[in-house]
Formats: sequence, structure tokens, C-alpha cells
Amino acid sequence: MRSTITAEEAIAEAEAPPAARRLSVRFPSLTRGRVITGGVLLGLGLIPVGVDAARNTTFWEYIGAYIAVWAMLELSVVVVTGYGGLISLMPFSFVGIGCFATGLAVSVWGWPFWLAVPFAALATVPISVAVGAASVRLKGLYLAIATLTFASALGETLFKWEAFTGGQAGHTIDRPKLGPVDFSGGFAFYALTMAVALVLVWMVHGLKSSRAGRAMLAVRDNEREAQALGINSTKTKLTALVIGGALAGVGGAFYLALLGSPAPAGFQSPYVDVSSVLLVVWAVIGGIEAASGAFLGAFALIVQQQVFQGAEKLFVFIGVYAALVLVVFLIFRPGGFVQVVKIQSERIRVNPARGIPETAGLVLFNVIVIWLIIHFGTVATKT
Amino acid sequence: MILAASRVPIVEVTTFGLAKGAVYALLALGLVLIYRTTGVTNFAHWGIGLMGVVFYFLLTSKAGVATPLAAGLAVVTCGFVGALCYRFVFRYVKRTNQLVLILIALGVAQLFTALSAMGFGFASTTILDPWLPISTVSVGSASLRSTQLIAIGAAIGIAMLFLPWFRYSRTGRALRAVAQNREAASLAGIDEHRYSTVAWAIGAALAGLALLLILPHASGERGGVITTADITPFGIYLIPAFGAALVGGLVNLPLAVVGGFVFGIAENALILAPEPWSSLRSTIAAILIVVLLLLHTERFFVARAEQEALET
Repeated sequence: MRSTITAEEAIAEAEAPPAARRLSVRFPSLTRGRVITGGVLLGLGLIPVGVDAARNTTFWEYIGAYIAVWAMLELSVVVVTGYGGLISLMPFSFVGIGCFATGLAVSVWGWPFWLAVPFAALATVPISVAVGAASVRLKGLYLAIATLTFASALGETLFKWEAFTGGQAGHTIDRPKLGPVDFSGGFAFYALTMAVALVLVWMVHGLKSSRAGRAMLAVRDNEREAQALGINSTKTKLTALVIGGALAGVGGAFYLALLGSPAPAGFQSPYVDVSSVLLVVWAVIGGIEAASGAFLGAFALIVQQQVFQGAEKLFVFIGVYAALVLVVFLIFRPGGFVQVVKIQSERIRVNPARGIPETAGLVLFNVIVIWLIIHFGTVATKT
Repeated sequence: MILAASRVPIVEVTTFGLAKGAVYALLALGLVLIYRTTGVTNFAHWGIGLMGVVFYFLLTSKAGVATPLAAGLAVVTCGFVGALCYRFVFRYVKRTNQLVLILIALGVAQLFTALSAMGFGFASTTILDPWLPISTVSVGSASLRSTQLIAIGAAIGIAMLFLPWFRYSRTGRALRAVAQNREAASLAGIDEHRYSTVAWAIGAALAGLALLLILPHASGERGGVITTADITPFGIYLIPAFGAALVGGLVNLPLAVVGGFVFGIAENALILAPEPWSSLRSTIAAILIVVLLLLHTERFFVARAEQEALET
């Protein structure tokens, strides 16, 4: 199980015997490591419910569902930026398209929610293709500026078009039902979103080793080399953008179901930039090259945002800490949490006598820093 | 012409456009300077400028410092913040990977956004005292705001002083040498990191000045109001400022200034246009930027080899 594949390896894999690449999308087989990863993610997702049962509230079920939905949104960043190497500063605009397409289909046209989810994924395709057309000619920072501009232009046009957004308050929908099962309850909705998120994590992980995914990694690492090997770079970039957009669209559908009725103002400039930057930044902290990193990033973000929001705006202090962590991560551990976990477990395996205290020290250091922030943050906000 | 019958406020609208353009020009000047010297597309430019505004707010409201002095100190602080950014963050990032550079710039933007929310005390609206003299100037039949005229004058004045300085002074020549070829500059005895820090400091100070020219005077006599829309990673001014910088291909300083004024006027001139066209006002900047990007303006200013060195 590798998180990073170099160009040489990707090319070597692309050269693999034809039998291995007959299927365009391949699901990962269930090895022991993957079962453990899945178990850890599920365990992290179950923490809110455990705390919930202990405290006898429904707040944590909401947070659990929020983490799951945000993980779906982070997955779109993983595919576009992590796999495809295209820096898009408009992921939240795709979420908005999915969100209002679902709202339109369910509350205006009267479609069932389950039909609206694939519709939301399809609705993002035209914009993905437009960005793809731009990405053929624009690289790196120019694409970043272009997507930033697209996001603000969409906010001024599409998200101000009342027939699409349902006016100032947005569309209101009920949480979905499936036959006799009603997902409107806190736990049921939490279980639904968590299941969908984990399936999507699994699929995005599988995408990485599929033919399309390997082509994305090759184009990301060296576009000319990939082209020389006969990979169509335009098609590959477009695939990454369309898959990323569709993931954001599906996430947007569940985002709408979670919040009931998000207002279109959140998808207009400059507020859309706040969410888009958060998505990109936390995907990096989680580990932008791995599907499980999206889940870890979403977990860390929502916990710091929602849990500390009640505690006297402490989340801003945590936000400052998180931003510092991000900068340190990008310089020293560009693979995010996923890389840290991998490095530390490798160190423990090689030399337990040194690795275990080192890992414990790392965890303790961060706990102390967060505790200090909370401690002094409380003092500072009281005055 | 129906419009000609009722008095069209052409002079007022143009002045307002130029005042906005002055802000874009100053922001673009900093963006270009930083990009040319260190290869960083500074998505944290707005955040750095906000730090100056926060400092100004704290000095005037908490410490009771006179407003013009506070503004001066805030601009200097901003420059200091920019220098710190380079010294502690961007100095350690390899320039070869533009993706990582952009992600780090976003992280820094996030940091400054969080810090400025903290500085403004988490309030949804904050009122800033003005520091420029506020009066109305009559030119012909038009009455213009003094703060707008001062902003325009300041941007033009700074551009007139800065551009010759960048071209002929010793520091300016060293900055250009670092921008053109870092290795060769180092071999000629120019401390690359020192001059990169200088470029960041100047760019950041210009960002602080740009924000201080407009934010405390946005609503006339009552000073300025900072809302949650301003405490965002890019605010509402950074995207047109990027457009202005793109007029000069992100590397040409004089054209960045011109571009700033072009974007300012383009946004405001559409107020005067008849109905279907005036609704383009909110998207004209986006349209212009996409056109500039697709023209690949940088190829007019940068040799192919240098461009590849910046891009890879």
C-alpha cells in the first residue's frame, strides 16, 4: 500500500500486462492493511456516536454526519488536485451546483432524493468541461487564478439566478426516505452519510490504481513524459475534473440534506472563497494524495470548527494553530496526516524502542499546544 | 440619447472608478514585485494587507494614537509582516513546485484571515476612523470626494517614484538581478535572500497602504466599515488586482499600474451603460481576466527560458 507513486512507477504500472488494465475502474482488493485503514476510519467516524450516547444528546450525531458530508467534498479536491495535479480554487462552487440542482429537482420538480443525487453529479459536468477547456491552455498559477475567477463569476450569475437557487433562502428539502427506512433521524442520517462517504473513499482509493488514475498521476508528475508514453493529457485532466466535480455534486446533495436549506449567499464571492480555501487547505492537512486523507482532513476540520464554535469562538485560535500546522506540514510533510501516520508506524516497526517514545512525544506536544491555545484563548476571549 | 437629457454623473463615476483602480494598481504592484523576485503567486496578499488594517484599528481604537500616525505605523508593520512571511515560510519552499507554493500561500492567507478576525474582536462589523481629510471638491458641476482624489494621487505618485527607483537605484537593480537570474545574481555578490525579503516587505507595505486608502473611507464621512466579506482570504479586491497584474503578464510593473486603473474604470463605466449592459458590471472583471489568461500575456514580456524557470 503506497500513498505516493512516482512517475517511473506509474509508467511501469501503465506498462503492466494487458490483463491488468482491461477494466477502466478497478476496486481495491481487501488486503489486511486496507481492512485496518477502513476500520480506523470507521472508528474515527463512530467517536461522535459514542460521545453522544455517553452525553445523551444529538449534537454529536449531527457532527458525525457533518464530517461524513465534508469528507465527500474533500474527496473532490483529492481527485482534482491530489491525483490530477490541477489546482482548482473553486471546489465549493461545484458543491453549490450539486446542492441547488438537488434542491431544484426535489422541491420544485418533485423528484425522489435518490434520483436527484446522480442528477446533481451530472449537473456539475458542464462546468467541469469548461474548467477542463481552460486547463488545457493554463497551467499552475494561471489555472488557480482562472478558477478563482470562475468561482466569482458563477457566484454573480448562476447563484444569483433565483429559478435555480430558489431565492434568498434557497431550496428547502426533507431528509430522504428509502422505502420503510426514514433517514430523517439523527442517527439514521449519520449512518447513511457515513456509509456513502466510506464507499466513496473506497472508490477514490480504487481510482488511484485504475488505468485512469495511473494516467492522472503520470500527467501530474511529468506531462511531457506522459504524453510521450501515449497518454492523452487533455482527456486525463478532463477525467480528473469531471470525477472531482461529480464527487462534489454528490457531496452537495448530501450537504443540502444535512443543512435543510443553505442560502445561496454562501456560494457567492467572497464567501465562496472562504469555503473553497478551507476545502483545499484541509485536504492538504489530511493528505491530498490519499483518499483516506480526505476523511482525516474533514474529521480534523469539523471537530475544530463545530466543537469549539460553542466555546467562545475558540475555533479561531484553533484556526490559527491549524494554519501554522499547514505551513509546517507543507514544508516538511507534504503528504499530510497520512504521511505522518505512515512514517511513524514505519519507525515503530523498525525500532520500537525509539519509535514509540518519539510518536508519543509528537502526540503529547500537539495535545499540549492545543491545550495551551484553549487555556489562553479562554482567558483572552473573556476580557 | 435619453441619457444626455438627465445629467449623467460621468466625472463622479470615473473618479470612483479611478479610486478603485488606484487600490487595484497598488495591490498589483506588490503582486508583480513579489512574483518577479521570488516566484510566489501571493494569494496571501489581501491577508497581509488586512494585518495592517487590524494594526491601524487597534492603534486608533484601543491605544488612541492619532489616525495619520497610526496609518503610517500600520503600513510599516505591514512591510514587516511581509518580510517575516518570506523569512519564516517562503524562504524554505523550493521554487520548483508551483502547486506547493500556491497551497502554502493559501495556508498563509488562512492564517492572516484567522488572525485578523481575532484582531477585530470577532465582530461582524467594525467601524474604522478615517485618517485622510474628508471634504467635497467641486470640479465644474461635479462634486468629488477628497479621499478618492487622494487615493488616485497616491497611487500615481507611488508609481512615479517607485518605477524609476526600481530601474535605476542600487537596490532596484539588485532586485531586478535576483528576478532575472538568481544564481548569476548570487555569483555577482547579491544576497538573494536579503533582496527577496526587501521585495516582500515593499510589496506587503503597498498592500497595507492600498487597503488603508480604501477601507477606512469606504462610506464617506462615517469612516469605513469592515464586514465579514472583508475578512475573507481574498476579500473583494484581490481578484481584480490579479487581473491588473495579468495585464503586464504578472511581471511588468508599469503595465500592472495601468491595468489597475483599467479594471477600476471598466467596472464603473458600465454603470452608465443602458440596461442589459449595466448588469455585466459584476462579471466584467472575470471576463477580462479570462481573456487576459487565454492571451497568455506573460509571453510578451518574458523570454521563453525564463518563463519555464518560473513555471516548472
